[in-house]
Amino acid sequence: MYSQGLIGADGQTHEDAAFLAAFQARIDAEQKIEPNDPMPEGYRKTLVRQISQHAHSEIIGMQPEGNWISRAPSLRRKAALLAKVQDEGGHGLYLYSAAETLGVSREEMTEQLLSGAAKYSSIFNYPALTWADIGAIGWLVDGAAIMNQIVLCRCSYGPYARAMIRICKEESFHQRQGYEIMIALCNGSKEQKELAQDALNRFWWPSLMMFGPPEGDSVHSNQSMIWKIKRFSNDDLRDKFINASVPQAEKLGLTIPDSDLKWNEAKQGYDHGEIDWDEFWRVVKGDGICNRERLKNRRRVDRDGAWVREAAMAHAQKRRARMASARIAAE
Amino acid sequence: MTRIPDKHAQHASQQSLQQAAWAAAAAVPDPEIPVVTIADLGILRSIALDEEGCIVAQVTPTYSGCPATNLIQQMVLEALHEAGFENVRVESVLSPAWTTDWISSEGRKKLRQFGIAPPTETSNSKRALFGETLVTCPHCGSGETERVSEFGSTPCKALYRCLACREPFDYFKCH
Amino acid sequence: MSGTCETIMASNQTLFSYVLRLADDHLILSQRLGEWCGEAPTLEEDLALANIALDLIGQARALYAYAGQVEGKGRNEDQLAFMRYERDYQNLLITEQPNGDFAHTIVRQFFISAYMDPFWRRMESSKDEMLAAIAAKASKEVTYHLRHTSEWVIRLGDGTRESHERMVEALDDLMMFTGELFEMDAVAQEMLQSGVGVDASDLKAEWQHTVQTILQEATLELPKAGHMQTGGRTGRHSEHLGHILSELQYMQRSFPGLTW
Repeated sequence: MYSQGLIGADGQTHEDAAFLAAFQARIDAEQKIEPNDPMPEGYRKTLVRQISQHAHSEIIGMQPEGNWISRAPSLRRKAALLAKVQDEGGHGLYLYSAAETLGVSREEMTEQLLSGAAKYSSIFNYPALTWADIGAIGWLVDGAAIMNQIVLCRCSYGPYARAMIRICKEESFHQRQGYEIMIALCNGSKEQKELAQDALNRFWWPSLMMFGPPEGDSVHSNQSMIWKIKRFSNDDLRDKFINASVPQAEKLGLTIPDSDLKWNEAKQGYDHGEIDWDEFWRVVKGDGICNRERLKNRRRVDRDGAWVREAAMAHAQKRRARMASARIAAE
Repeated sequence: MTRIPDKHAQHASQQSLQQAAWAAAAAVPDPEIPVVTIADLGILRSIALDEEGCIVAQVTPTYSGCPATNLIQQMVLEALHEAGFENVRVESVLSPAWTTDWISSEGRKKLRQFGIAPPTETSNSKRALFGETLVTCPHCGSGETERVSEFGSTPCKALYRCLACREPFDYFKCH
Repeated sequence: MSGTCETIMASNQTLFSYVLRLADDHLILSQRLGEWCGEAPTLEEDLALANIALDLIGQARALYAYAGQVEGKGRNEDQLAFMRYERDYQNLLITEQPNGDFAHTIVRQFFISAYMDPFWRRMESSKDEMLAAIAAKASKEVTYHLRHTSEWVIRLGDGTRESHERMVEALDDLMMFTGELFEMDAVAQEMLQSGVGVDASDLKAEWQHTVQTILQEATLELPKAGHMQTGGRTGRHSEHLGHILSELQYMQRSFPGLTW
């Protein structure tokens, strides 16, 4: 889940004009670019950044939901949540592997995450406070992620596009489960419905921020569009998301926390209130309530697991050596 | 005047009812891999009529902890309702335990086309330690692949990578 | 006439108790494994532990649902899993032991899997159809748990000096809880005699063989069996269970009687 509008893409590239033109011709002809194909350095770098941010988001995203596994209110919900968090880890792994096809190693990417150099989706710096948040995350956060990812299924880079196709199907299943949690709450007692509304109030705006700020005339974003890494603007995707989510909220009997939200007949879509981009940048830059904690957790887990990884490597080496000497002895 | 159907005709109509119910339930897609149906996967075990004329669909979970089990049961119920069957019941059967051998050849083909390597028969004993199954890349067909992780995003899949075309891909494990 | 009725009642009560304790074993262990989520030494292992936890919770659900049916008082899986008091849980003590470091988690899971593997295989021929069906699924799953944990026991035992030492400590810490696995109390005896249950005492030799074979390859040794701590089956737990339950039951206790 959870790709967000790419932050800080650098599309700069230095190849000669003929090479770039030939590459662009392939893109324009909707040919998929594959790992062994020649590609501009800027294209490769943009993709590495995008795919690794996406992978990091999956990994960090395990924390807010993982926080509720031990407290899930029923066995069925517990199993579904555990499976969902496993799924996110699996998607992270898949995406790291997809990024590796571009010549970057998982170790490098992990190092960038742990050092704080790499970004991940800002939504995970918001805490999951109540059980209803697990519903809201599934419904809204997965919903926003799917909106982003459906278009990535047509991304020009083959392995990423194909990964997205498979991942999107599993995400849809999650979103359905999340929405189902919301339904159960909204059909429940007064206090359950209040939990649901409160979760919507807290997750609505951060979900809209997941699409990233309006690009305006950003050169980088345009380059991503030309290379067909990106195929829609952040605002377009955000609008699609709002248009899909408002009727879902109405069906639940919940109120979207935006007094300026209203239907615009002319554009056949909703107009929404001002998004607090100061908050977005503050959280992206490290000052959300959970930023430090999320990274500290990852670093602690990395530190605590070091002896295990060392042992596994040492054993694998001994094993290889034993097998080699057994072969020699046999000859 | 209504004719009382003879036993034979009754039997035949029961059969066609069952067939129609099977067709409706069999088309239900797997929630996580919607390119295959629950019939392709061998999750739909049987459709029967009980003595009271109720359609009984039997489904089996793939894994004990499979999160899609409840949803699949609900989807089967909905599919049968939509096909016009009102009196319907879905039962979960645990035995015999589901195995990937029940995935149809059609199902295997669909998985491969979707980019998931279907389960291969393996001579490796399930108890053999440090064993790795040889899997063919569903993208380029190369046999030069390596396992990245014994588990992927769902318990039924492992993550592999192709050493020829470098594609990461899921392998639907033998179970 | 009434005598027969009472026998059936009594045996239902015993069957209920027998199924419930098995369910408790699986629930408590899966709750422990779930704590690893996002915390494992590698991403791959995160997925593996979550998967094992998922198998266990699935097995627990089937067992609780069946226990509720046997009891016949209309209690569903959640009422049985969440709405009992500490002393009513009958899980084996080893399942509630803290995760500790990765070595402790692996040894705990290895000990239990090496036991549950032959346990479920025998249960497949139980006279109780439902238990036999649950066993048929579970035995496929536990085979994998045993293989996975065996590989880690070997890696960690044979890996580095540090990993070896941590394994020795984990084996020492957990050994005292293994005696309980093979105990046959009145409930287990009655179930064995009626052809429903498994003779746990008879699994000891196979368990020891499995464990020792793997430990040997791991250059480790099974600690000498000293005092064996028991009590789980009668609800005499370690202090850890209360904390597990306070998280497990939090929602159901805070909002009683609601549907989620």
